[in-house]
Amino acid sequence: MVDIWNVAILDPVMNGLIALSQLLWGNFGLAIIVLTIVVRIVLMPLTFRQTKSTKAMQELQPKMQELQKKYARDQKKLQQEMMRLYKEAGINPLGCMWPLLIQMPIWIALYQSIMQALAATPENLLLLSQHLYPWDMVDQAIPLNENFLGLRLSQPDPTLILAILVGLTMWVQQKMVTPPATDPRQQQMSSMTTMMMPLMFAFFTLSFPSGLALYWVVSNIIGIIIQYIVGNGWGYFNFPSFRRPQPQAQSATQKAAEQPSKALKEGDKKKELK
Amino acid sequence: MIKVRNIVRIVILLGVLLLVFVSGCMPGMDGGGGCSGGQAQGWSSFAPYNQVICFGSMEGSVIALSPQARSEGKTFPAENEWVYVMKAATPGSACGAMCAPSTSASGKGIYATPVVVGDLVYTGTYSGKVYALNANRGVVRWIYPREGFETVGAIVGDVITDGKVLYFGSANGKVYALDADTGDFVWEFQTSDKIWTAPALDNGIIYTGNYGGNVYAIAADTGKEVWSIKIPSAVASSIAVKDQLIYFGTFDRNLYAVNKADGTVKWKYLAGNWFWAMPVVRDNTIYASCLDKKVYAFQADSGNELWQFAGDGQMVGTPAVTDKYVYAVSEKGTLYKLDRSDGKMVNSISVGYTVYGSPYADGDMVYIYARDHKVYAVDTLKNTISWNFSSALK
Repeated sequence: MVDIWNVAILDPVMNGLIALSQLLWGNFGLAIIVLTIVVRIVLMPLTFRQTKSTKAMQELQPKMQELQKKYARDQKKLQQEMMRLYKEAGINPLGCMWPLLIQMPIWIALYQSIMQALAATPENLLLLSQHLYPWDMVDQAIPLNENFLGLRLSQPDPTLILAILVGLTMWVQQKMVTPPATDPRQQQMSSMTTMMMPLMFAFFTLSFPSGLALYWVVSNIIGIIIQYIVGNGWGYFNFPSFRRPQPQAQSATQKAAEQPSKALKEGDKKKELK
Repeated sequence: MIKVRNIVRIVILLGVLLLVFVSGCMPGMDGGGGCSGGQAQGWSSFAPYNQVICFGSMEGSVIALSPQARSEGKTFPAENEWVYVMKAATPGSACGAMCAPSTSASGKGIYATPVVVGDLVYTGTYSGKVYALNANRGVVRWIYPREGFETVGAIVGDVITDGKVLYFGSANGKVYALDADTGDFVWEFQTSDKIWTAPALDNGIIYTGNYGGNVYAIAADTGKEVWSIKIPSAVASSIAVKDQLIYFGTFDRNLYAVNKADGTVKWKYLAGNWFWAMPVVRDNTIYASCLDKKVYAFQADSGNELWQFAGDGQMVGTPAVTDKYVYAVSEKGTLYKLDRSDGKMVNSISVGYTVYGSPYADGDMVYIYARDHKVYAVDTLKNTISWNFSSALK
């Protein structure tokens, strides 16, 4: 199992990184950034599918809310109807998981690559020798320079800057795709989970090598850019100072793009009815 | 939809947990199958004197062991035996097992094999200090740098001495010369990159290589550069000197023979992996273990291959060469007794655990320090393990 992992995932990632760093003037930090961009480009079709799937699911939200009201007391029926709705709209609700699932082995491989390629200890260097391809480019790159922009890539960033960047970029990315829930309880849960992931990753950044945190930051920024382009703007993320009053009449396309205002209004309506 | 989002979050959480556990505890990551993830633990070999063998332990101690007392099963420490426990080093960062330790002054391991001259045992530590201990009692004579001063960076290679001056290379890229008797600073020489190997001393010249791919010849009395060369890759092994040539392995999988007078390359040999351990020169033959799982013998002056032997794992340590045999240990823990003339295996025995350190041979007895923190004494005549001793002392 370990051999399969090494041959199929770890060794290509590690040797790719080392060869890249040799091409990039021996700069391992730049190699991590370029690898991140390559990974995101490779995953681009899946990311587009995920973004479109999320957008389509948002557009289905009014119908979902109707179903939730209609079958509030029959969860089984509600599930069936929801699945039917997804099917009719041609959406796979689990489709958005693939980019995440595919990135996980890359995270693990990248973590191991950073740990072993930077070889902070003689033991690490010995382990590294078992994974290297017999390429001149790789031979000449070893041992790697771990310094990048004041960071030691095999060590956690002691300044908290990376932790804040990881948390912030992840939070923005999540806010862009997370519609506000109509139910106050759901709203609370949703905002808690939206905060939870960035906080968790920020916390991990304090413990993990900063090379891995660099990957997370760059990956999040690329994710935000893709989301901005495909989702026609900042989506559900609102800058406090840029909030504008919503117009009364909306076109169908505006409705989809400005879901938060609609959801908020529906929430207000509910309150009025009560 | 909420449910789907929750599934996504659960998957991410599981992924992160997987990341933490799998990456830290992947079998084979540390050679011991555990979660130490390549922590600096050291792999010292043995220095013999006064019927004891002295080595640096993975626990950060220097231990003098009497093979006779061990074979008789006496309680440690018996006569002539002692242990000196070094102060615990301050970790380089607060990242625990998840990140690599600092290269400068963390980790308690000792990689350097002690060197004994007169009544003093010298060794360098990964925490960046050099110790001179009384060889009979194991008490400190001096420590460099002195109390209250910064450490010099990790010392991975052996320290060497001519009896008057002590020389060593450090991860801060410097070669240091100290007064062997007092530990007083004599000179330092700054190279372009990290040094993780031992220097060699021959005819008043110090030879050393670094991770920048530079090899230097330095005047031993003044610390001034005599010559330096740049090779395509970093220097992986300590340097051996014999007659007019110096020999060392590099990360481009070559074993180099370089003229010691001017640094010109005489010959080089490309293998399947790094020549990580210092080669041994006996008569006109070079014996070199390689991480491609082989032990090689070359003609020292021409580089012609005489024989090669393939073992069951990477050959990490320097082979022990006696009049008749070459003893090499694979990282899988197998000790091979090879005929020196043709490289044919006489016999082999496994100690059952990973070995990174070099074997030490005294007659038919070979001593090995394995990653299970045990010293194994192998009787190569009977092909049995005579005794073992755990360095993890209570």
